Amino acid sequence: MSGITAILDNAARALMAQQLGVEVTGHNIANVNTPGYCRQSVNYVTAYPEPSPWGPLGRGVAVDGIERAFDPFITARLNDKSSLLSDYQTRSSALEQVATYFNETQDGGINEVLSQYFAAWQDLADNPSGAGERQALLNQGLNLADAFNSRADQLVQERLNLLQQISPTINEINSHSANIARLTQQIVETESSGQAANDLRDQQQLEIAKLSDLIGVKTYTTGDGTISVTLSNGLPLVQGVLSFNLSSQLSATDTVAVTWEGPSGHNETIDTSTLSGGKLAALIQTRDQTIPEYQQELDQLAKALIVEVNNQHSQGVGLQLFSQTKGTYQVSDPTASLATSLPLGDQIVNGSLQIYIDRDGVPQAAGTIAIDPSFSLNDVVNSINSDPVLGGYLTASVDGNSLKIVANAATDTFGFGADSSHALTALGVNTFFTGDKAYTLGVNAWVLDNPDLVAAGRCDATGAHAVGDNRNALALAALENAPVGPSGLTFSDAYQRLVTNLGLEAQDAKNQETFYQGLVSQLSQMRDSVSGVNLDEELTNLVKFQRSYQAAAKLISTADELYQTLLETKK
Amino acid sequence: MRVTMSTMYNSIQGNLQSLAGDLQRINASIASGKKYQSISDNPVDVGAILALSTENSQTVQYERNLTTAKSWLSMTESTLQDISNIVQASMALANQMATGTYNASQRQAAAQQIQGYLEEVMQVGNTELNGQHILAGYRTDAPPFTEGDWQVQPAVMHLTSGSSGTAASGGTYTGTTSCTYLVEMVSGGGTGVGTYRVSTDGGQSWTAPAVIPAGPINLGNGVQVTLGGTWNAGDRFSIPVYRPINYQGDTNNFEIAIGTTNRLVINQVGNAAVGGDQGANDLFQILAQLKSSLEANDPGDVGASLEKLRSYQAHITSIMAGLGASLDRVGMKENVYGALKDELTQQISDRGDTDLVAAVNLLNTKENAYQAALLSSSKVMGMSLMDYL
Repeated sequence: MSGITAILDNAARALMAQQLGVEVTGHNIANVNTPGYCRQSVNYVTAYPEPSPWGPLGRGVAVDGIERAFDPFITARLNDKSSLLSDYQTRSSALEQVATYFNETQDGGINEVLSQYFAAWQDLADNPSGAGERQALLNQGLNLADAFNSRADQLVQERLNLLQQISPTINEINSHSANIARLTQQIVETESSGQAANDLRDQQQLEIAKLSDLIGVKTYTTGDGTISVTLSNGLPLVQGVLSFNLSSQLSATDTVAVTWEGPSGHNETIDTSTLSGGKLAALIQTRDQTIPEYQQELDQLAKALIVEVNNQHSQGVGLQLFSQTKGTYQVSDPTASLATSLPLGDQIVNGSLQIYIDRDGVPQAAGTIAIDPSFSLNDVVNSINSDPVLGGYLTASVDGNSLKIVANAATDTFGFGADSSHALTALGVNTFFTGDKAYTLGVNAWVLDNPDLVAAGRCDATGAHAVGDNRNALALAALENAPVGPSGLTFSDAYQRLVTNLGLEAQDAKNQETFYQGLVSQLSQMRDSVSGVNLDEELTNLVKFQRSYQAAAKLISTADELYQTLLETKK
Repeated sequence: MRVTMSTMYNSIQGNLQSLAGDLQRINASIASGKKYQSISDNPVDVGAILALSTENSQTVQYERNLTTAKSWLSMTESTLQDISNIVQASMALANQMATGTYNASQRQAAAQQIQGYLEEVMQVGNTELNGQHILAGYRTDAPPFTEGDWQVQPAVMHLTSGSSGTAASGGTYTGTTSCTYLVEMVSGGGTGVGTYRVSTDGGQSWTAPAVIPAGPINLGNGVQVTLGGTWNAGDRFSIPVYRPINYQGDTNNFEIAIGTTNRLVINQVGNAAVGGDQGANDLFQILAQLKSSLEANDPGDVGASLEKLRSYQAHITSIMAGLGASLDRVGMKENVYGALKDELTQQISDRGDTDLVAAVNLLNTKENAYQAALLSSSKVMGMSLMDYL
């Protein structure tokens, strides 16, 4: 029923409503810098009208509720892209780190050391009897070995570094999942009364955004208003008020295995290659796929270098011959075939090798030892000891699972040559390098201790050898340009390809990072344009609500005046 | 579109960050002089620079090899030139002595001169370069030419027509200087009939005639000769005694790499170039025979040796022509590598070195942009409705 009381009622509702407007504006202003905060606004509606003889009479304003400005579609897209951004950020930073180990734009890279090593062979070929050239060659050999060792070591360190980040990342994922589930529960409880839990929902969205940075997820809002978060392969991380943990272990093949710990002890192993987006996928895939590829390429290059240099080196003799020598490789079992028991056993082919004996520096005898890949180390020892020519001069034995050969007489020395079987390479006898991969590449201690054993020359069929002979050094120097490395490239070509590939991959990750950075910042702007707080806008609203409040107050004073007027008529 | 506080401040921060990143990169490229700081800056260019650097370092190495080649070839050339000069002098002397106008004592003196030449050839042939004997094949650690033990050489026969005399020289020489025993038949006949006399000074003085014995005749200092057949009066033969010079090196050619697939022989093998192997062009043997012929006062044999010297002279001249050609090739290669090195250095620099003018220009541009961004940001940040309420 209309009347002055109704006017007062109307004014009182308006006062309360405008005051609420000021409060909500204050909340907005206060949270201008709060991450994940969505601008809120009061939803004003007209109050239910009162029937009157003149038709429904308006009864002023009513508050329908407080709404948050939130666009679920933009937010979902933003989370998705943030996930990819974080993936490429992690990849890019890991690859940049790896790229610095192969930074050939600065001095002292492998490429340069490789050139210097072969140049040292050229210098030795120019002056095969020169002590200085021999020492310089050994130093270059050591430099090259160091260069490979340190790169290999750094790759291992980088993998370790990535591994150390995986477990904390998974802990973070688990804690975000748990937070989402907890918030869901609070939201359900709060909203059961029919009111929107705006700030709790903001927190929940923030947790989802943080989770997206760590691992690629999809979110679904179910009918009852709760949220499900699943991995890209469909396994749920959060389902309603339940959350499920992830855990990681190192597998037997040194890869990271991620397990999803489902309800009632139901565990499932996640194929890490199906993970997409997020820091975790980048960490695992960089550690288990990208870096191992480069490790493998580097190892292949080192192995090719060891094999080719040693194949050639073992064909020759130095200024001095051996009075005794020992192989650098150990067999796993002296009775097993060389092909399977030596690290480089796969290099051995059917063939033979020559051993030349000098007595007092004059060729004395030469013998041929036939080699078959199926021979065991014991077989080789026996065939040397029982050789009709060599047996009397030399004694071969198995020493620490390596081949050891000693000249019987103090006046005798021996040298090797014409090894068509590559057994010397595989056994590490009369070789230049030791090891079988980048990490173990080294210079043979025999030549290091006695540079005169660097085999620049060769023995003739009779065993004659001379100090001015540079044939082997020439052949070794020529390896620089020979298509010997992996894939039939020269060593430097193969290495350059590795560096270029690594550079391209790092560049690609960086470009992707930049691209997604742009996308994310664009989507963030879109999200902010909906949900963000603009202080000037809030100030305007503040003024607006203040004025409305003043107007409502004015209404009260007007009603009061109406009462006074009415009452005065009774005096 | 609504602009919010976070949009505004994020974009200000983002833009300033990006400009600061650009400034840092340009600064690094100017300070280091290198266009790229990491292989991911431009993997393709970095790969190309690596390949060019490898080629460049090989070129430098081949240039070093060529320096070695040049010193070996020049040294060999000058050694052979010295030997050739000695051969010329020997030929001049032999030419004189082959004529009948000189007597035995003059030829004895000439023989001494030839002995001197012979020793000099040996000395020159044992030349070393950085402690390596360049004419020894691979056996560079020992002098290639050494004197052997005293050897009584086979008799050089000059028989009159119808003579069937044979002389087998032998014995072990106990003397200390080289000499030539000259034997002449005083009267014809075989063992026990014919008589001979011996001279050790080219026929200036003779021993008393003696009858040819059945066994070996002692000519003195352990030199023996056994005569057989039937001799005529006036038959002569000479037995030279000298220490032959032997070649101790091997016959390997010393090669070095002067290109990825090219090798160049930079030595000469001593026995082929000089001798010591008793072959057709063994200068030592030719000179030793010349000397013996002079000692035996035999102008005819001197003439024969002169012919051999001429043939040797042609031999060594052709070897030296080969050396000259090799030196030319080295010179040409040096020019090629010099030009290639310049080209490679230029290319590496073009691809990898900072273009300072462009970089400084860019720095200025970015600096201006940064200043402008700071200015506009401060203006935007300064604006608020609060200032007016």
